[in-house]
Amino acid sequence: MYPRAFHYHRAGSLKEAVTMLSQLGEEGKLLAGGQSLIPLMKLRFANPKHLVDLNFVPGISYIKEDKGSLRFGALTRHAEVEYSATAAKIPIIHDCAAGIADVQVRNRGTIGGSIAEADPSGDWATVLSTLDTTIRCLGRKGERTIPLSKFITDAYTTALGPEEIVSEIIVKNPPKGSGGAYLAFKRSAPVYPTASAAVQLRMEGDVCEDAAIALGCVGLTAIKASQAESALRGQKISETTMNAAAEAARAAADPQPDMRGSAEYKRMLVGALVKRAIELAIRRARGEQVEVSHLYA
Amino acid sequence: MKDNNRNWVGKPLPRKEEGRLLRGRGKFADDIKIREMLYLRFVRSPYAHARILKVDTSRAEGLPGVVGTLTGKQIEPLTQPFIEIGPEPCAKIRDFPLAVDKVRYQGEPVAAVLAESPSLADDASELVQVEYEGLDPVVDAEQALKDESILHESAGTNKVWNGVFEYGDVEKAFREAAQIVNIDRLHFHRFSSTPLENNVVIGQWDPKDDHIYYWCNNSFPSFAIQFLAAHLNIPIDRIRVQTFDIGGSFGIKITSYPQMAVCALASKKAGGRPIKWVETRSEHMTASAHGNERTFRDTRVALDQDGVITAITSRHVDDCGAYPRYEPLGCVIWSQVFPGVYRFKNARIDFTQAMTNKCPVGPNRGYSRMQHLWFLERVVDICAHELGIPADQMRLRNYIRPEEFPYTTPNGCVYDSGDYPKMLAIAKNLIGWDEWKKKQAEARKQGRLIGIGIGTTLDSGTNNFGQSQIVNPHAPFSGNSQGANCKLDIYGEVVVAVGSCPQGQGHETTAAQVVADVLNISPDLISVRTGFDTERNVHTGFSGTYASQFAVSGLSAVHGAAQKLKAEMKRLAAFVLETQEDDIEFGRGAQGPELRAQTKGKSINYWGLANIVNVNSAVLPPEMHDITLNCRYIWRAPFKVPDTKKKYGNLTMTYASQLHIAIIEIDRDAFIPRILDYVAVDDCGTVINPAIVEGQVYGATAHGIGAALMETCVYDAVGNMLTSTFSDYTPITAMNMPKVKYGHIETPSPHSYSGAKGMGEGGAAPVHTISAALQDALFSSGIIIGDSFNNADTLFRAMVGREIYQADKLVKLERRA
Ligand SMILES: Cc1cc2nc3c(=O)[nH]c(=O)nc-3n(C[C@H](O)[C@H](O)[C@H](O)COP(=O)(O)OP(=O)(O)OC[C@H]3O[C@@H](n4cnc5c(N)ncnc54)[C@H](O)[C@@H]3O)c2cc1C
Repeated sequence: MYPRAFHYHRAGSLKEAVTMLSQLGEEGKLLAGGQSLIPLMKLRFANPKHLVDLNFVPGISYIKEDKGSLRFGALTRHAEVEYSATAAKIPIIHDCAAGIADVQVRNRGTIGGSIAEADPSGDWATVLSTLDTTIRCLGRKGERTIPLSKFITDAYTTALGPEEIVSEIIVKNPPKGSGGAYLAFKRSAPVYPTASAAVQLRMEGDVCEDAAIALGCVGLTAIKASQAESALRGQKISETTMNAAAEAARAAADPQPDMRGSAEYKRMLVGALVKRAIELAIRRARGEQVEVSHLYA
Repeated sequence: MKDNNRNWVGKPLPRKEEGRLLRGRGKFADDIKIREMLYLRFVRSPYAHARILKVDTSRAEGLPGVVGTLTGKQIEPLTQPFIEIGPEPCAKIRDFPLAVDKVRYQGEPVAAVLAESPSLADDASELVQVEYEGLDPVVDAEQALKDESILHESAGTNKVWNGVFEYGDVEKAFREAAQIVNIDRLHFHRFSSTPLENNVVIGQWDPKDDHIYYWCNNSFPSFAIQFLAAHLNIPIDRIRVQTFDIGGSFGIKITSYPQMAVCALASKKAGGRPIKWVETRSEHMTASAHGNERTFRDTRVALDQDGVITAITSRHVDDCGAYPRYEPLGCVIWSQVFPGVYRFKNARIDFTQAMTNKCPVGPNRGYSRMQHLWFLERVVDICAHELGIPADQMRLRNYIRPEEFPYTTPNGCVYDSGDYPKMLAIAKNLIGWDEWKKKQAEARKQGRLIGIGIGTTLDSGTNNFGQSQIVNPHAPFSGNSQGANCKLDIYGEVVVAVGSCPQGQGHETTAAQVVADVLNISPDLISVRTGFDTERNVHTGFSGTYASQFAVSGLSAVHGAAQKLKAEMKRLAAFVLETQEDDIEFGRGAQGPELRAQTKGKSINYWGLANIVNVNSAVLPPEMHDITLNCRYIWRAPFKVPDTKKKYGNLTMTYASQLHIAIIEIDRDAFIPRILDYVAVDDCGTVINPAIVEGQVYGATAHGIGAALMETCVYDAVGNMLTSTFSDYTPITAMNMPKVKYGHIETPSPHSYSGAKGMGEGGAAPVHTISAALQDALFSSGIIIGDSFNNADTLFRAMVGREIYQADKLVKLERRA
């Protein structure tokens, strides 16, 4: 169907977008890549009266290295991340960007839109929660930064105020000896995963010094599997420790049955993905160049 | 019969239609805009089964830009219910294109709104208020047969049709069987086709001439107009249907006539303004048409000591959704391939069709035969595994043998030609059967699960509509026919028109190849009219594009028309060049194609001939006046009406066959089935255009792999459709496709003039093949594959949950001493 009629506003800067949002009140909504918002509008599940378009704001689409961090402008497209050599310095970020949906969606969809949408199945939130990530926000009262773990509060819910905007996403470079991998199982390219696992490790020899594990699509938000992390932290990685981490991940998952699979299957799957992702993360931590691709039906 | 002049037929000519389609210059129904056109949006039922208490359209009508609305109550007195093909009591079903008193599936149209723009129509559709009273939905066919909740009160039952197909001496075969395999339940799932282009109708009921004009993408217009004329109380010659380029149909667009009816009625109400309806993808997924779902119960298979099947008995329950529409034709169409590719002579199939509160079915690619062929392939593989016979050996022991063609099946069908053992040998060779067997054994030792599966299937084409009389002795249909016209236009252009409406099958190209060989000219010089148009007068009651038949019915008609034209050209040239007809040669001169008098050294080109007949006719003597150079030919299939009591007779002209092999690995931690290797071997007799045939094979293979592993129409217990978007239905994409190795053989059909067989549906070969491979991987773990749809979740539930597919519960083997 066609969306309901709406007014279109083109922001010239983030500041102007904030002003527009505060004047439009609840009826206003930002438009970034439109890859979540437009389908919802076409199904008439979302019916905003006003759209504030960010696509013509200059200088908010970038990937910069700065003081040990990577900074992503809110309007940076998934495809820009996919093809960025700078972003590829954190391989798990490349895994994420390159595995989102299909070319069309990646060419339009943005990292800022994804984080702001807080879709329980969104890839970015899962991957970025294994890294030290903060979200920079701009509001009427000025700027603030919020750690990702405090930013997404529930399914489709964030800490953003009504006229606040995500302006930048800042990811700290992982320490030396780190490696990570992101794996999802998808029934076909242009759909969200059935389940996914992001694993980021810091290794010293065979011993895992630190571990961050996040599970996607098996809860209302990305789930930090802290028991699974503990199963690895300080341990020599072996089949046994990996199995323990996978088991702990299964226990942490809280999946719902839907067309993507039964709850039991998703729970089982997410453990399998964690285990495979650990293996890949270790190889990368050792400095190996590993191409990672999602699993497809 | 055979044509010996083969310069063009058999060549992989690039498609004539490629240039426009690949450049985005195709002309599709939605590209058409007509002055004063209005846009229609349906208001659809959110419930699967409910009584309509009230439809209030006043708010919608109040919206500026809205021209009118239409409800079921309004159209009921103006129309006849649609024709029912089936017999009593289901002939009493009152099927209207907008629900009148009740809704019977989620997404059923209840009202329509007409507005000046598509988005206004969408807005207005939200303002129509419908009050419903919920009724018990029934979504399972076997449950529906209990008649606890009736869909159509006028019929009084949910049972559409029941019949027993029995041949040979079943009891004797079971008495003498060395072993008997019992299979409790098998189930073929509901899936559909996802053509790139959804349904589109522009309809105009023009008050100036009281004609109805359609610009649309219906894929069987001559069938649609028969339904529409009776429904709308209008003489059939006042309905003109035109189709253009069509972005796929796969049979699903055959049943768009209800929407066509609404567009005409809406146009009438709007004073004759043309009405455009463009279906959304969600509408297409919930409410266009799905494929038939079928459950196979209490199957018993008698075998001799070598694993040769001697008899099968089974009870089949087909689910046709909420309205029969094209059904119950599917209740007999499966019997075109009654024994599949196998030799067993004794069988009894008790076939029942039921209505449920789900989207009505339509003749989806592989229609009704694929369900049965899948059943037979499951039977063969389950028996093979139970008896410890390798799948290839089991097939070789049971296949109809090459020397037995033409082969008459137990129910009187005549399989024209084929060589299944040879296809198997080619497929095994292409896949590297022996190496895979070794790899499989090694993998097993490492605990890996690899399965090797074979699927052998048939694509029966050009059907005998007389089979409709098996489901309803009063059905006024039999035989099959197609029309074509071939003419020399005034300046000598060769112009061909056919009653088909291609959806990507390359009819323009293959028709031109056929005519090129008849006239000995290049296909580039032949223009083939695209699309369908009732006013071209080349259609018969069977014209359209469906059921794997163009190469036979369509091209036979084209060939006939071209032969007629050729004969006239020869006669005329002999007169003009003052020679005998057998002195005339069709060739090429300095000015293009010409007819030469070999003994006289004189010639006349096409323009010269066309000129005489069209604009210079005074030079013709009266005995030449019957020459028109405008030759219409109606081809008729040589069928007889089947014996409806015995359910016996030849139901189809040609039997293309497919043999696929898949190698699949199921990983042990995520249970994702992965195709490691895939071979498709095809036999459609003499090939008209190898590139087109190969393309059809890849397309059908993709569709089948999608159906086997990804695509399923799911309803919840109360009839909500859970797969109404591509995110849920997940149609197969290139990313999910394995590399397909293609092979083919040609066993020319003795039944068609060219030796060609219809093809394109592909018999859902991958569905059978993938089920077989999965079972091969899992049988040693006590699992049989009992459903045609399998994904990682299914395999997990079978292997870990042990909820489904347990061989010890579903299969019983009785061995006799
Ligand atoms: C077919 C399909 C498949 C997909 N598959 C996947 C997948 O597998 N994995 C995945 O992660 N995603 C997937 N997506 C979603 C895609 O990644 C989207 O791009 C993403 O979810 C939203 O980003 P966007 O830029 O398109 O945001 P939009 O759709 O424009 O906006 C989304 C929401 O965020 C708000 N918003 C946007 N930008 C900002 C901002 N800077 N500050 C505050 N609020 C903002 C908007 O107002 C809106 O509410 C898929 C999308 C489609 C259409």
